[in-house]
Amino acid sequence: MTALRSIDVSKVFEDGFTALADITLSIEPGEFVTLLGPSGCGKTTLLKIFAGFYEPTTGRIEQDGKDVTNAPPEKRDTAMCFQSYALFPHLSVAENIEFGPKQNKVNRDERLTRLNDLLRQVDLEQHRHKLPNKLSGGQQQRVALARALAMRPSVVLFDEPLSNLDAKLRESVRREIRGLQREFGFTAIYVTHDQSEALAMSDRVVVLNGGRIEQIGAPEEVYQRPDTAFVADFIGSANLLPFQRVDDHVVETALGRLTVSGPPDDAAGFLCWRPEHAQYGVTEGDNVVNAAVSELAYQGSYTDLHISPPGVPDQRLHWPGPASGVSDQVTFRLPPEHIRFVRGKLG
Amino acid sequence: MNWRRTLLIIALLTPGLGVIVIMIGSVFYVAVMQSFGFYNLVGEESFSLEHWQKVLDSKQFSRALRYSAYIATVAAIGSVTLAYPIAIWLRRPFRGSLVISALLKAPLFVPGLVASFLFLNVIAFHGIVNQFMMWIGVTDAPIRLQNDRGAWGVVFLQLWKNMPFALLLLTGAVQSISDEVLDAARDLGAGSFARFRKIIAPLTVQAMQAALIIIFIGAAGDFAFQVTAGPTNVQSMAQYMVFLKDSFGRWNQAAVVGVSLMVLALCGSLVLAVLSRALLRSGNRW
Repeated sequence: MTALRSIDVSKVFEDGFTALADITLSIEPGEFVTLLGPSGCGKTTLLKIFAGFYEPTTGRIEQDGKDVTNAPPEKRDTAMCFQSYALFPHLSVAENIEFGPKQNKVNRDERLTRLNDLLRQVDLEQHRHKLPNKLSGGQQQRVALARALAMRPSVVLFDEPLSNLDAKLRESVRREIRGLQREFGFTAIYVTHDQSEALAMSDRVVVLNGGRIEQIGAPEEVYQRPDTAFVADFIGSANLLPFQRVDDHVVETALGRLTVSGPPDDAAGFLCWRPEHAQYGVTEGDNVVNAAVSELAYQGSYTDLHISPPGVPDQRLHWPGPASGVSDQVTFRLPPEHIRFVRGKLG
Repeated sequence: MNWRRTLLIIALLTPGLGVIVIMIGSVFYVAVMQSFGFYNLVGEESFSLEHWQKVLDSKQFSRALRYSAYIATVAAIGSVTLAYPIAIWLRRPFRGSLVISALLKAPLFVPGLVASFLFLNVIAFHGIVNQFMMWIGVTDAPIRLQNDRGAWGVVFLQLWKNMPFALLLLTGAVQSISDEVLDAARDLGAGSFARFRKIIAPLTVQAMQAALIIIFIGAAGDFAFQVTAGPTNVQSMAQYMVFLKDSFGRWNQAAVVGVSLMVLALCGSLVLAVLSRALLRSGNRW
C-alpha cells in the first residue's frame, strides 16, 4: 500500500493561475521523495495539498489507501516543517515540541518521554527552556523538526527547510534530517529548488516544471538519463545542441559530426552532454572537437570553460585543474556513451 | 553614563516630557489637594479628611463606583471580545474587506454625544424600533426603551463606540502573525478555538491589554452616554462628580469623586491587564 498518493491532481487558483495539472504520484512507505523544480513550478502547492492546506481543484489524495482529499490538516497523519520554521515565538523549545502531542491528548508520561528523546536526538537538551528567538537558525530548524516528529506522523512534509541556512550548516542539517528519517522510518516529502540537496538526500526525485511532472526517478537516473531538455538543464550543468540525423550512429551538430551510441531519437529536440564528460588529451578519433575558449571561470576543483560554436548557446566544459593550465584553444573528446537525446524545449 | 550626558538627556527630554508632567501632574495634584481641603474656591483652606469621609459614607457614591466599574469592565471586555473574531476574519484581504473594515471603524469618527442622540432617535417612543415592533404586531403601543434600568442602552453605546477602537489595535496585531505559524498550529492538530487561545491571543496580548486599558479608562469616566441614554436611578462617577459640583458647589467632594475615578481607572486597568496575561499563561499550560 502506498503511503501517499495523488491521482490526477490539479490546482487552479482564484485568479485563474494553474499551479498544478494532472499530477499522479505514488510514494511508498519510508521513502524519501524530493519535489524539485524552479520557483513557481507548483512544488509547494503540491506539498500543501498533501498537508491539507489547499484542496485540489480536481483529482484526489489518498493516504494509506484512504481518501483524504477533503480532510483538514489537523485530521491527517502528516506533519510539516516550514521554510521559516514557523516556531511559536511565545513558547519555549520544550513547549513547542509538546504542542502537537498536547493537542492530540497524548498522556503526560508519553509526552515527556517523546520530548526528552527528541531533545536528545536533535541535541537541544540544554536549550529546552529557551525561546526560539534565542536559538540559531540551525537550532530553530532542529526544533521545528523535533516538533513535527513529536506527533509520530507517518509522513513528514518539508517545505524548503534549509533555504534560510548558510551553506555549511545546510549540509549538516541535511545529514541530520536524512539520519532521523532513516531512524524513525517516516515517509518524507521534501520540497527544494536546490538540485544538490535533492540528489544527495532522496530515494526518488520528482522534477516539476510549469505545474507538470517532467521526470520521476532515482537521483542517478534523473542526472545521468534526463528525459527532457528541462531536466538536463535544471539538474547539474548540461550542454544542449540541436542536431540532424545522418545515420543510425552519426549526427550533425554545431560541434561537427558526432558518433552516438544508439540510433537518434527522431522526436528529440536536442543532443545533450555534461561538461564533466569531456575527455582531454585525445586528439584523434571520433568525436574529437577543437574549439576556441571564449570564457573561463576558476571553480576550485575545476575550471569552467566556455566555447562558442556558431548558432548555438555557449557549451561548457569542466577542465580538471586551475585556469592557468588552459590555453586559447581546447581539444576534447565526447564519448558516445555519454551523449543522450532529450525531448522538449528550453526555457 | 556620566552626569553631563545624563543632564543632556534630561535637557533634551524636557520640552516634551516636561509639558506632559506639568499638565497631567498639576491637574492630578490640584484634584488630590482639593479632596483634602486645599485649593478651595470659597472658605478657608486646611487639611481635612471630612470630604473623603462624607463621600465614602454616601450610598450614592458606592452605587456610582460599582456602576462605573461595571460599565467600564463590560465595555472593555465586550469590545475586545467582539473585535477579535472580526480582526481574525479581516486578517487576510478579500474582495470588499477594505470597505467592511472602513465601515466598521466609522463609529470612531462620531462624537459620543452625537451617537447618544442618534441612539435615542432609534429607541425613543417614536423611534424606528418601536414603530417596527408595532408594525409587525409585537406590541400595540410604544414601549419605553430609553434610559433602561439595566443600562443596556449605555452598554450598547459603549460597545458601538469602542469596538472599532479595539478592532483598530487588534487588526494590526493579528495581521502580524505569519500564515506559517497558524498553519503550523493547524498542522499539529489545533482547531479554530485552540489556535485562538494558544497562538493568536498570546501573540496579540499587548494589543489586547492596550485595548482593554484604554477602553476601560474611557468607559469608567463616561458622562455623555450616561446623561443621555443611561438609567436615571443610578449615576456614573463622572455624572456624580458634576452633580456634586453643580448642586451645592461641593468642589472638595467632587474632587474626592474625581480622585476615586482616577484610582478606579488605574486599578481596573491593572486588574484587566494582569488578568488577561495570567489567563493566557494558564491557557498555554493546557
